[in-house]
Amino acid sequence: MVDSQLAAEFVARGRSAACPVIDTHAHYGEFCGIYFPHPHAEQMLGTMDRAGVRICIFASHMALVDPRRGNELSARVCAEHPDRFRCYLAINPNYPDQVAAEVARAESMAGFVGYKFLSDYYQYPITGDRYKPALEHAEDRSLAVLLHTWGGSQFDGPALWEELATRYPHVTFLMGHSGYGEWEKAARLARDIDNIYLELCAAYSVRGVIELFCEIAGSHKVTFGTDLPWFDPHYGIGCVLFADISDEDRHNILHRNAERIFGL
Amino acid sequence: MEFFDCNCEIGVLTQPPLAPAVGPEALVQEMERVGIERALVRHACQIDESPIVGNPYALQVLAPYDNLLPTWSILPPQCGELGTVDEFITAMSRAGVRALWAFPSKHNYLLNAETFGELFEEMIARRIPLFLRSTEQSGSLRGWELCTDLLRQFPQLTLILVGHGSWGTDRFFRPLIERYPNFYVDTSRYELEGGIADFCRTYGPHRLLFGTAFPYTSMGGPMLTLLHCDMPDDYKAAVAAGNLARILQEVQL
Repeated sequence: MVDSQLAAEFVARGRSAACPVIDTHAHYGEFCGIYFPHPHAEQMLGTMDRAGVRICIFASHMALVDPRRGNELSARVCAEHPDRFRCYLAINPNYPDQVAAEVARAESMAGFVGYKFLSDYYQYPITGDRYKPALEHAEDRSLAVLLHTWGGSQFDGPALWEELATRYPHVTFLMGHSGYGEWEKAARLARDIDNIYLELCAAYSVRGVIELFCEIAGSHKVTFGTDLPWFDPHYGIGCVLFADISDEDRHNILHRNAERIFGL
Repeated sequence: MEFFDCNCEIGVLTQPPLAPAVGPEALVQEMERVGIERALVRHACQIDESPIVGNPYALQVLAPYDNLLPTWSILPPQCGELGTVDEFITAMSRAGVRALWAFPSKHNYLLNAETFGELFEEMIARRIPLFLRSTEQSGSLRGWELCTDLLRQFPQLTLILVGHGSWGTDRFFRPLIERYPNFYVDTSRYELEGGIADFCRTYGPHRLLFGTAFPYTSMGGPMLTLLHCDMPDDYKAAVAAGNLARILQEVQL
């Protein structure tokens, strides 16, 4: 078995008190293309307890489509479970007349910690002007922004990251899925640009990716996420635990970096 | 709990994964790190070169390892490259090979009754399982359509679809599970939160096989997911190793 106290503990018990996992990329509720056994709060809490996930930071699926309804839902879940959930406010740039109003209410939302952009789905680039009110707010308040990112994408691929991150130097950008597929480029950007972080959701399953990120960018630039209720936290945690890295790296990825970024 | 991995690959590919595993040593080392006792193994040579070369080569490189079980790949019997159906089955028996793979995308054939009717009827009679990757394409059919078409033509075939994808595939494979009694899926990419336990509550534990898709995918993810999913230990044991062991034991060669 791998030489890791953490791995041994998770194998034996499914969780570790010394490693309270923080999920920096999650969702909530039903979605169009998938059957979810456990899409709601009480079910997600059961899953989080089983896997030792202390806090889940999410944008509801509804918010990704219709922010006016969905951001309300996200805030309601956070208000009901303030110790376990935080939320990203979602912006749909294809309804530009709604963006300013959503940004205006961000600070009053329970659990609000930053923004989530799903640009591939909107087919609107992360560098586009319609995100500007949200990004300026995030810049003023030094907030985090979670971006869906995918290798080769003209809307959110690594080719766009530097321009965005240098334009808003006080925003912490979590690159969701780590620019899936453009691994080395993503890792180099995270190494070279202070406010770019690699978020592991889905990327973790690719054997060798975690080692590559730790080698190039350092484990202090990697955060953990699961797309919950999409992916079982144990799947991603298992990928981190059995990667060829140190327990210090595993702690950084699974909780310490998120604790620092979000003040948790 | 014993883990018996149904979905492992070694060897050199024209387009290798991020962390390739060229020889069996890399596979065995990873299995020991993660705690996986046995694996059913295919060799990349069977895919990117040819089953004519790769089938015997897999036997050769895996021979020193008691816990790595070799698999072979099929080709259309009409070209005679692997012998007649009888000769192929006899060779399998002599070599101790108890499972087969189809790679129609790379090997350029139609995975249908016209091409494989005789072989698949023999496989059904002998309960030899056929493994198929969810990404395979045969003519105009690919993925779930290919799988469905194959099962319609051979409803009793033991077909194991691997790597069914992480982005929500229950709506594709559950109808096939309900209709075809010898259809299985592996767990290498069954990342759906609560998916394994929910599936087993509905269909029982006997239609899932533990797999990792090594070296493409981390072994630790599928292992920890199954180990701590919310279902009884005897269900976990069946998925982890029991089902695959039973399928291989039932093969009549």
